[in-house]
Amino acid sequence: MTLRLLGETPALPLHTAGKYVAGAYIVLFLLVLIYVAVMAVRLGRIERQLGELLELTERPPVAKDPSAARSGELEAEALDPVHAESTPA
Amino acid sequence: MRTLSIATVAAMALGLGLVFFYAPLEAEQGFLQKIFYVHVPLAIVALCGFVLGGLLAIQHLRTRDSRWDMRSYVVIHMSLIFAVGTLITGSIWAKGSWGHWWVWSEPTLVSFLIIFLLYATYQPMRFAIEDPERQARYASVFAITAGAFVPLNYMAVNLSTAYVHPRVFSSTSNLPGSMALTLLVSLLAMVLLFATLCKYELTAKHARGQLRALRRRLTEEAETPARRPRSAAPSPEPLRRAASDFHPSTAATARSIGGSSA
Repeated sequence: MTLRLLGETPALPLHTAGKYVAGAYIVLFLLVLIYVAVMAVRLGRIERQLGELLELTERPPVAKDPSAARSGELEAEALDPVHAESTPA
Repeated sequence: MRTLSIATVAAMALGLGLVFFYAPLEAEQGFLQKIFYVHVPLAIVALCGFVLGGLLAIQHLRTRDSRWDMRSYVVIHMSLIFAVGTLITGSIWAKGSWGHWWVWSEPTLVSFLIIFLLYATYQPMRFAIEDPERQARYASVFAITAGAFVPLNYMAVNLSTAYVHPRVFSSTSNLPGSMALTLLVSLLAMVLLFATLCKYELTAKHARGQLRALRRRLTEEAETPARRPRSAAPSPEPLRRAASDFHPSTAATARSIGGSSA
């Protein structure tokens, strides 16, 4: 079916101006392609940053004063004794 | 966004099909004239985009809402890319038709180059200003001024006596039906492509802004444990709060992060 349709379509006069027309359409294609590539890089960066944020949510909080740190440890111990034991005091 | 993307791909495929298999060859220029089905829509969309950028900048100055400034920036940025396409395809046509890549005596070419160079200074000007509020304000003023220059420039070129640029598509009324239809479909495809790329760009910028806000909230939260509810795991509440400030999709992400950490 496709081959028959292609066979019936008129031949394009590519001999003279063909390279210029092809060049113009390739430029458009390349512009879109470059843009899509840039978007893909950006998407990768966003994904990586999202991963870092996920890590940040899973990380235990950094305590500034020792009492707060100790209370944080106690809370951590209370909630997750196995993990707390393996952490050096 | 998916519908817009599909519509763009469909319109572009239809446009290409019409250009190469439906539109007849033009009597004078022959096959070379097919370049105009990509060159003219690119130019129209780029120029309209510059004007639209100015209109969005007016809205920004009226409301002081930074989202309008962002839209104006994205539209101008995209128009600049389309203008690059216009200049390159126009040069290719000039080489095929006139035997030269560029003709300085031709007012339409030179005026378009002037507009392009004018807008090429937009981004350096914008990012030379550090204060975000001033940056947005100055960029808006620039966008409005330059946006007003675009139609004035177009009128000046049309009124000029040294008028030699080929007006194959000065209006669709003098075109045969098949050529006019092909041009209109190509124009529609280009408008859709412009809208889709703008939408992607805006979404990417939104996502980056939301991530920055979430990171800031999380860092603040991690550095001030005393103010947090008494729990070993970070509270998901700041994430939800930060996300709800911006976009529903990030709110969903934040809910999922909060859910996994709680």
